[in-house]
Amino acid sequence: MIFTWEYPPRIVGKLAEHVSTLATHLVRNNVETHIITYHDSMTGTTEEPNGARVVRVTNPVRTHVSVLTWDLTLNEEVERAAANVFYQAAKRFILTDVHDWHFIPAAVTLKNALGIPFVYSVESLEDHRSPGANLPFNMAIRGIEWLGFYEAEKINAKSEWMQSEIIRVYKVPKEKITVVTPGTNSWVKKTLEVYHAAAGGADIQ
Amino acid sequence: MKRQLNVMMFSWEFPPRVIGGISPHVFFLSKSLAKNGVKVHVVTCDFPGAPAHENIDGVEVYRVDSYKNPSPDFATWVYLMNLNMQKEAAAIAAKLPDKIDVFHAHDWLVADAGIGLKHVFRKPLLATMHSTEIGRRDGVHTITERMIHETEAWLTYEAWRVVCCSDYMVQHVKWAFGLPNDKLSMIPNGVNPQIYDGLEKQDMGAFRAKFALPQEKIVLYVGRLVYEKGIHIFINAIPKVVQKTDAKFIIVGSGYMQEQLSNIVKSMGLEHKVLFTGFVEEENLLKLQKIADVSVVPSLFEPFGIVALEAMAAKSPVVVSDTGGLSEIVDHDITGVKVYPNNADSLAWGIIKVLTDGAYRNRIRENAYKKIQEKYDWDKIAQQTRYMYETILGEYSKSFWA
Repeated sequence: MIFTWEYPPRIVGKLAEHVSTLATHLVRNNVETHIITYHDSMTGTTEEPNGARVVRVTNPVRTHVSVLTWDLTLNEEVERAAANVFYQAAKRFILTDVHDWHFIPAAVTLKNALGIPFVYSVESLEDHRSPGANLPFNMAIRGIEWLGFYEAEKINAKSEWMQSEIIRVYKVPKEKITVVTPGTNSWVKKTLEVYHAAAGGADIQ
Repeated sequence: MKRQLNVMMFSWEFPPRVIGGISPHVFFLSKSLAKNGVKVHVVTCDFPGAPAHENIDGVEVYRVDSYKNPSPDFATWVYLMNLNMQKEAAAIAAKLPDKIDVFHAHDWLVADAGIGLKHVFRKPLLATMHSTEIGRRDGVHTITERMIHETEAWLTYEAWRVVCCSDYMVQHVKWAFGLPNDKLSMIPNGVNPQIYDGLEKQDMGAFRAKFALPQEKIVLYVGRLVYEKGIHIFINAIPKVVQKTDAKFIIVGSGYMQEQLSNIVKSMGLEHKVLFTGFVEEENLLKLQKIADVSVVPSLFEPFGIVALEAMAAKSPVVVSDTGGLSEIVDHDITGVKVYPNNADSLAWGIIKVLTDGAYRNRIRENAYKKIQEKYDWDKIAQQTRYMYETILGEYSKSFWA
């Protein structure tokens, strides 16, 4: 189960393309892949050409004072969609891969409530997006990122530089973070290894 | 034997954290439910000095980290607090030996946590709407107010059933969110008259002397000093009352209107007749309610009016504005005096009537005390609530979630 706030056709940054490529490779490796993402109008479940199932949810609360309140309410819809996938799959689900901070709250709730561990895949950090900003708004987002690092079984970083930044900013133990650079040799194999490690003894083919 | 009903309740306040009426409501409701055979787990915000987990008369109370970093604004804090509340409640519920049967959320302040856990555990959610943003603000004017209004609508949408504490609120909530009748239920708020019992035997003379001269009657207002409570109407009635009878006006509570109101009192030259106490400790509040010759509730918008009920339990005669839940609690000339809302002349008339007629005063306070024992007893309310849980579970058992 992959949580991402952007997925084609909704493309905001690089993340959408990356998750789409990742999903294609996972399906090819016989991993049952469900993507839960946000879209304002294309809501519902679809089967993508790459074989992944995509659930798109929208926010039932239409008016917001900031991206933070938007995000925190949208997380309940992500949980609803994830729980539906979980129960429909007869509770076989064993892992969430959450990309960036937006849906960390949902990943944490699913872990605490249903015992589904999660991997936190880092695309960027609030420290780099808003360097030097120390408003309550930025502190709250950093708090959510911290929660993700704290609660995640494993962390994926896209470069060694990002790995060192995560260690510098959030004091995360180095062995918790794997550097997986998309596009390089065996990046899919490495991703699967991280999934294996995060899911513990669970059986992933 | 059927195992015990297992309920998880969310509330942003629970004693000793007391901000408004939800705290005492959840406190008495959960305790009375425990007495009536329901296992209740209350998840609420932390409070300095209060334990993270305790058992109060059979109720499991969990106090979670309420997000203490600075927040951009109050509403954002609510959602950030919900993130913590939901995270910790998820872990608590998952570790319980028995599964939670029903999640019960009190107001939009815990909407996120209630809705999220409903879906994750696939159990029904019950929502009690104590108030609404559209009612508090007399409309939806700002982005924040609209966001809160939509969050309330979302909570009532997700709820299996919506409970309100008065017939007035049932109609109001139905109108505000477009809910069908069969989704709404009325279960009144309760009051516990026993808390005043101990005071009956005490000599209040010394306590009273701290607040008023022997010849002064005491007129009491308890509530936040905010527009919707109509406290400004009360202030405007004061000069009209003192023309007719000697009285001291005690105003308990705080709020954004406090400075403005005390300036008006100064300009009237009535500072010696009006006392702003600010927040008052529970023990002294009960005593004040006990010694009041009249308790006044001049609200413009009042979903329920618990403060009127408390006054009635303390055997203090009440003068209330004829609006919202207050209209249902008080029968005019029988259990209290109803006056026109937003009308200082009418309010002054009501206060003078009670203060100048001793026989009338005694009659309405005796009637009021009988009424609260009949209708607003927490035991009866807990039984109604338990019945509601069982009804919901009966419906739920036929759904594909079961």
